[in-house]
Amino acid sequence: MSRQKKWAFLVASVCLMMVFTAACNSGGAGNTGSSSSKSSTGTASTSTSDNGVITDWSKQPEMTLTVFDTLANFAGEQPGWFAKLIKDKFNIKLNIVAPNLSGGAQMIATQMASGDLGDLVVGLGGKDYENAIKSGMILDWTKDGLLDKYGKNLEKYAAQALDANKKQYGGGTAIYGIGHNVGTGDGPSEGADMTFGPMLRWDLYQKLGSPQIKTLDDYLPILKKMQEMDPKSDSGKKTYGMSLWSDWDGDWSTLAKVTAQFYGYAEGDGFNPGDMILTKADGPEYQGFLDDNSYYMQGLEFYFKANQMGLLDPDSLTQKFGDVSNKFKDGQVLFSQFPWVSNVYNTPAHTSAGKGFALVPFQDEKVYSSGFNPYGGQWIWSIGAHTKDPARVMAFLDWLFSPDGVQETSIGPKGLAWDIGKDGKPALTDFGKKATANGDTPVPAQYGGGTWKNGVSALNNATLTTSQINPNTGEPYDYNLWNSTLTANPDPVTKSWREAMGVITGKELFVKNNQVAVTKPFFNGQPAAQEPSNIKLKHSQVGKVIKEYSWKMMFAKNQDEFDQLKQQLVQKAKGLGYDDVVNWEVQQTKNTVFTMYK
Amino acid sequence: MSASLTKTADSALTRKRFQIKDKYTLFLMALPFLVLVFLFSYLPLYGWIYAFYDYQPGIPLANTDFVGLQWFTAMVSDQVQRAEMFRVLRNTFAISSLGIVTSILPVIFAILLTEVRNSKFKRIVQTLTTLPNFISWVLVYSFAFMLFSVNNGFFNHLLMSLGWISSPTNILADDNHVWLAMTLWGVWKGLGWGAIMYIAAITSIDSELYEAARVDGANRFRQIWHVTVPGIIPTYFVLLILSIANFINNGLEQFFVFANAMNMNHIEVLDLYVYNIGMGNSNFGFATAVSIMKSIVSLFLLFAANGLSKLIRGQSII
Repeated sequence: MSRQKKWAFLVASVCLMMVFTAACNSGGAGNTGSSSSKSSTGTASTSTSDNGVITDWSKQPEMTLTVFDTLANFAGEQPGWFAKLIKDKFNIKLNIVAPNLSGGAQMIATQMASGDLGDLVVGLGGKDYENAIKSGMILDWTKDGLLDKYGKNLEKYAAQALDANKKQYGGGTAIYGIGHNVGTGDGPSEGADMTFGPMLRWDLYQKLGSPQIKTLDDYLPILKKMQEMDPKSDSGKKTYGMSLWSDWDGDWSTLAKVTAQFYGYAEGDGFNPGDMILTKADGPEYQGFLDDNSYYMQGLEFYFKANQMGLLDPDSLTQKFGDVSNKFKDGQVLFSQFPWVSNVYNTPAHTSAGKGFALVPFQDEKVYSSGFNPYGGQWIWSIGAHTKDPARVMAFLDWLFSPDGVQETSIGPKGLAWDIGKDGKPALTDFGKKATANGDTPVPAQYGGGTWKNGVSALNNATLTTSQINPNTGEPYDYNLWNSTLTANPDPVTKSWREAMGVITGKELFVKNNQVAVTKPFFNGQPAAQEPSNIKLKHSQVGKVIKEYSWKMMFAKNQDEFDQLKQQLVQKAKGLGYDDVVNWEVQQTKNTVFTMYK
Repeated sequence: MSASLTKTADSALTRKRFQIKDKYTLFLMALPFLVLVFLFSYLPLYGWIYAFYDYQPGIPLANTDFVGLQWFTAMVSDQVQRAEMFRVLRNTFAISSLGIVTSILPVIFAILLTEVRNSKFKRIVQTLTTLPNFISWVLVYSFAFMLFSVNNGFFNHLLMSLGWISSPTNILADDNHVWLAMTLWGVWKGLGWGAIMYIAAITSIDSELYEAARVDGANRFRQIWHVTVPGIIPTYFVLLILSIANFINNGLEQFFVFANAMNMNHIEVLDLYVYNIGMGNSNFGFATAVSIMKSIVSLFLLFAANGLSKLIRGQSII
C-alpha cells in the first residue's frame, strides 16, 4: 500500500510540475504580442534598389502591425482613409492596442511584464521606456544599419532628436526611438489657436459692450450677466458659467490647474517627471501647488467664487468629459478653458445665427506655450524588439516623419480633402471644408469609405510639429495656418472677432500683445531622474489628498469653510510627505532645466 | 477449517486490494481539482515576494532592489499615515458590517417569495430581482447618474415639480450617508441572487413537516416560524461564516465607480485604497504588502467566526 501511495504521489507531483512549467512558459516572452502574420522573406526584385534596400513596400506581402499605443483612444484595426493610405503605400494594417481604453497604467505594466510590446510602440516614455530598453523589449535602430537604410527622412528632418535619444538612452551608440513633436523655430509652436483660452460666448460678450477684463476674477460678473441674458440652452436647460469634469484629474484637479497655464506656468518643468510644482515656461521660477497664493490655489478660489455666484455647474464633480462636451454642444456653458472644448458649439448652424465661442484673454494673462523642441518630446516612437519585419516598421515610421507623411496623416491624401491650387498653394477642397467642419461627412469608397472622423489616424502622437513649413508646399502642415484657410470667407462670429481684435488668429493676438510664455527646449544628454520608491509612495498619497480637497474647496459653502478646508489640505498633505516630494522635484528642476538660465 | 481460513484471508485480501484501487481512482478523480486549487490558490502566493522588492514592470525580479519590510513599515510609518489606514479600515468595517446586517434580507425575501401562490407573479419577481446581479457596476453608475444628476436627473426633476424641494440636491456627491447608500445599492443588486440559495434550501424542507404543523393547528406564520426558519438557518450560518471571512474584502468596483472627491473620505475601503495608491501609481510592492495583511486578517476572521460558531451552535464548517 505504501508503495502505491508513493506512486500516486509521484504521478501527482509530475502532473503539477508539468502544469506549473507550462503556465510559466506561456506567461513569459513566448507570448507574442506581435501578430505579424507573414514575414517578408520573398523580396520582389522589382521593388528593391541596387543595394538590396526595399523601396516599394506595396509589393511586399500584406502584414498586420501590432501597435502598442499609450496615447490612442481607439483600439482594434485602423479603419477608413488613413488605413487605405498606408495599405496602398506599405501593404500594412495597424492593429492598435490602447491601454487608455482598458486599465491605463496597469495595462502598460502588464504588457511590460509580458516582455513583448508589439511591432510599433507609441508614446511610451519615462521610467517605463527606460525599463523596456533595459530588458531588451525595444529595438536598436542602428543594428544592421536599419536606420541608415530605411530612415532617410528621420535623419534629414529630425537628426537632433535622433541624436538626443542616442545620448539619453543609448549610451551614445544605440538609438532606441525618437521623441514626439520635433520642430525647430522660435515663438509658440501651436497652430492658429493656442492650447488654452479662455473662451467666452462672443455674441453675449459683445451684447454686454465687450467690457474690459483685467484679471481672472473679472470674468465672473460678466458671466453672471451673460447667464441672466441667456438663461436657457438650446434644449431649454439652465445655463452655467462653467462646467468642469474630474475624469482627467491627475494628482490635482486638472481644470483648476489650467489657471497656472493662463499665467505661463505648468505642472512640472517639461523635462522631469515631477508634477507637484508649477514651473514657469520661460524663467527659473517655480511654485509649490499648495503655496499660499499659488496659481493652483487661485484657480480653486476662482471656481469657488463662481460656485458662490451660481455659475458653476453642480454636476462638475460627478460628470465625465463626454457629458460636458454635450453641454457645450447644447449651449449650456458660457466659458471654457480650452478652444478645443468649446469649438463643438461653433457649428455652421450656430455661427450663421451669430452665436459662437471666441477667445477673450484677460489683461494679466500670459499664456503657456510648449514651443518648438528639436530634441523631441517625451512621448517616444519606438519599435518592438520582437517584431518580425523591422525594416517595414522602420520605413513606415520614417514615412510618418517625412513631409508627405506628416501632411497626409494630418489632412488626408492629396486630392481628397486638400489639393494644390492654381497659385501653387495648398487649399481645402469642397469636401475638405465639409469634412473639417463636420467629422461625420462620409468619405468616398475609393479613399477608404466610412466617415472622415473614423478614418483619422488613431496613432494619436505627433511626429513633426505641424506649424512648421512643409518644404513641398511652402506652407505649414496645419491647414488652419494655410493662407487659403486664413483668407477664406470667415463665419460671422470669426469675422466680428477678427474685426474687434485686429488679428486673424488667437495665436497672433497673444503674440501681438506679448502675452505668451514660450518653453525653451532643454537637453543635457541625460535622461530625467526617476523618483525613488519612498518619494513615489508619498507622491501618490499626497496627490490623492490634493485632488480630494480641491473639489471640496471649490464646492465649499462659504469663505470660512473654504479657508478651513484649505488649512486641512495643507496640514494633511504635509503630514503625508508633501514637502519631501516638492523638495525632490525642485532639486531635479534646479539641476536640469534651470541651468539654462544661469 | 484451514480451507475456510484461507478463504477468509483471500476475501480480506481482495477487499483490501479493492480498497486500494478504490482510493487510487478517487484520488485520480480529485487530482485535477487539486491541481487547480494549487494553481490558483497556492501558486499565486509566490507573488507575495513582490512585497519585499521595489518592483518595476519589465525588469526581472533578480535585477530589482530588495527593500525588505519598507512597504510594511510605510503603512504605519507616521501619524498621518496611520490615520489614513485607520480611516480606510473604518470604512471597510462599516460597509462590511452593514452588509452582514442586511444579509438577513435575502432570507426574508426568499421566505416571502416561496409563500407567494401565484407562480407567474413569483417568477416575474424573481427574474426582476435577480437581473441586477448581472449588470456591471459601471452601468449601474451611469444609471445612477441619469437618476440623480443635478441638471437633468429624473429624481431632482420629480421632487422639484412636486414642489418638495426648491433647489436640486447632488445626491451622488453627498458624504453624509455614503455607507448606507452603498449598502442599499449592494442590496438592490444582490437581493434576488442571494435569495436563490435560500429558495433552494426551502424547497428541500420535507413537506411532511408542514403537514404535521398544519395538523397541529399552525397558521401560515407559525409554519414559517417553526418549520421554514429552522430549515434554512444552517444554510444562513454557513453563508454568514463565509461572508465574515470576506469581511475585509468588500471589492473594488462598486466603490471605484461611485467614488468622488466629496464622498472619498467615507467610501474609500481598503481595496479601493490599494488600487488608488498601489495600482494607480504602479506601486506594486506597496499594494502587495497591503494585500498580504488583508489575507492574514481574513484568515484570522474566518477561524474566529468558525470557532464562535462551534462554541454557540456546536457546528462549524471547518
